[in-house]
Amino acid sequence: MKVTQKDLLNIPKKALLKGHFACAGCGSTLAFRHAIGAIADKVILVVPASCASVYQGGGKGAAFNVPTINTAFAASDAVASGVRRAMKTKGKDDLKIVIWGGDGSGADIGIATEIGACDRQEEILHIIYSNNVYGNTGGQRSGDTMIGAKTATTPYGNTTPRKMVPFIMMANNARYVATASSGYLEDLVYKVKKAVSMTGFKLIQIDAPCPPNWRSDSADTVKIAQLAVKTGVWPLFEWDRETNLVEISRPSKKYEDITNRVPLTEWTKLQGRLKSITEDQLKSLLADTERQWNFIRKFM
Amino acid sequence: MVVKHDKKSMTGNDAASYAVLYAKPKVISAYPITPQTTIIEKLSQYVDEGKLDAEFIIVESEHSALAGCMGAAWSGVRTFTATSSQGLLYMAENVFWSGYGRLPIVMPVVNRCLAPGWSIYQDLQDSMAFRDAGWIQIYTKNNQEVFDTVLQAFRISEDKSIALPSMPCLDGFVISHTTAQVDLPNAEDSFNFVGEYSDPVIEVDTEKPWIFGGLVGPEKFIKVRTDLMEAMERAKKKIVDMNKEFGEYFGRTYGNGLIEIYGDDVADLTIVSMGTIADEAQDAVDKLKEEGLSVNEMRVRTFRPFPEKDIVEFAKKNHKLLVIDRSVSFGHAGQLRIEIEAVLQRNKVDTSVEGRLMGLGGEDVPYPKIVAAAKEALRSKI
Repeated sequence: MKVTQKDLLNIPKKALLKGHFACAGCGSTLAFRHAIGAIADKVILVVPASCASVYQGGGKGAAFNVPTINTAFAASDAVASGVRRAMKTKGKDDLKIVIWGGDGSGADIGIATEIGACDRQEEILHIIYSNNVYGNTGGQRSGDTMIGAKTATTPYGNTTPRKMVPFIMMANNARYVATASSGYLEDLVYKVKKAVSMTGFKLIQIDAPCPPNWRSDSADTVKIAQLAVKTGVWPLFEWDRETNLVEISRPSKKYEDITNRVPLTEWTKLQGRLKSITEDQLKSLLADTERQWNFIRKFM
Repeated sequence: MVVKHDKKSMTGNDAASYAVLYAKPKVISAYPITPQTTIIEKLSQYVDEGKLDAEFIIVESEHSALAGCMGAAWSGVRTFTATSSQGLLYMAENVFWSGYGRLPIVMPVVNRCLAPGWSIYQDLQDSMAFRDAGWIQIYTKNNQEVFDTVLQAFRISEDKSIALPSMPCLDGFVISHTTAQVDLPNAEDSFNFVGEYSDPVIEVDTEKPWIFGGLVGPEKFIKVRTDLMEAMERAKKKIVDMNKEFGEYFGRTYGNGLIEIYGDDVADLTIVSMGTIADEAQDAVDKLKEEGLSVNEMRVRTFRPFPEKDIVEFAKKNHKLLVIDRSVSFGHAGQLRIEIEAVLQRNKVDTSVEGRLMGLGGEDVPYPKIVAAAKEALRSKI
């Protein structure tokens, strides 16, 4: 099931057509093109209020080349449940019901609905593309915002740790949980394909740099995403309910060892939101990163 | 030819569950709330016992209950949920989404007041707050009408020229938990009336990458809203036709489907109301007649779409209306009264209107109370 660079060049379906409304250097659309493109022939997409409800375009110029249902902010997992159950009654069990939404819905307003669908073991793949903010509304703090990051509602830097949605879903008996990155597309596509082949509720959370809100150069999106992995701040892993084991993904393996990690400032200095992070905030961010790793290690 | 019926005793909620059992929805998505709960309890039992071949989604909130139905409706299958009061408020965002999204969902609202004061008893404050959500609202007067209206609602909502969700409303406890006789047709005849939902108004399809509920610019937005207004207008005729067709098949009608008149065609005073108060008002009309007073009654059965023409025509012939409201628009007046006054004014009808608030938060409204209110209205000079 390994996905190679060659596979990336031959995306089975153009899921994202020309003329989408995304910002230059959008990490989310990059991930979308490959992740959804790899599984697109049998997909029904459910999109909660998010950047994706805008960048899909509108009218005759719609850029999403897959059937798409737009829902209210907190409704996507329940709408997807309804679609899945209805398709079951129609004998269309082979369809893949995929939610594509941001961290605003996935980590905050929609999390009760998400846990509800997970609790019911609905056969859904929920993909959170995390840009760490409410991007569409102008970049306010979300539950998934990094410590130290300046947002529209944390002008002096966010002080609280990220809400770890993957861990929450592991605790709620999801079938499969993984993190991924816009900087490692082979790994992302591999995980998405694997997830849709499984029954039950699956969650993949993607690090998706957002140049306007991260105040980064749109040419640096992939570089920043890769640095998040190399600095250890965004560990890539998979967890499978059957084994209850975490496997660190290949791009992250080397960086489990803290001594191999690139200094965090290499990653922060490329982002306006983190450029003036204080010493204390940097310490907290490092501590929070370690907290994540320690959590993961318990399943290894 | 009128089909055969069995006489059965059942609560209003059971009557609703029977109608749903016979209409055979494919997906039911539900969350408990008093006084609605026994509807979905019964349905979960039917599903578990294999009497109803449907997917039953036991969701974690009302917001998700309606969202589940929305997913099913977008997938082109018949779908059902029910709610009350705070539950309806909690799903508010999706109530509007499914109305404006033209999703043919049937959702009875078992009317209950809103907190605070904390209470589980009936008034119409909950569903009346959703008059602008793009849903058809039909207010029922008894258990029999609940069964009949839920059956009709599937037909009305799923008609391609209508494509609007329906909210059959029934008073909490007075209907929902009170046992009364219901003439129950058999399952086969009932399903024959409703029919298969084989030509869905909307259907997500992997062969056609359509986008539902996506961006609409200002230039097209008015078209979307005008379409909805026109569908509501068509729904009036559909409800009238449905009432007639239902009558031919089952032998029962409710006025013309939109309004129901009781008593003489012309009287000194017309009592106007909805739901169970309107049923009780019939006894009041009889009592007043015995005393030699001239009073008739108009029940507004369909509140959305609002039957302007029918109300105006009847009001024109009569001298004075006493509108009994079971819900209030705070800072203004009883909600039914506001709408009645508006259509009379718009049509330059000078029949006077008096309003009374009754039955809020479960206040019992037996007919003597309505008799007293009618006598007062007859005495006052307006």
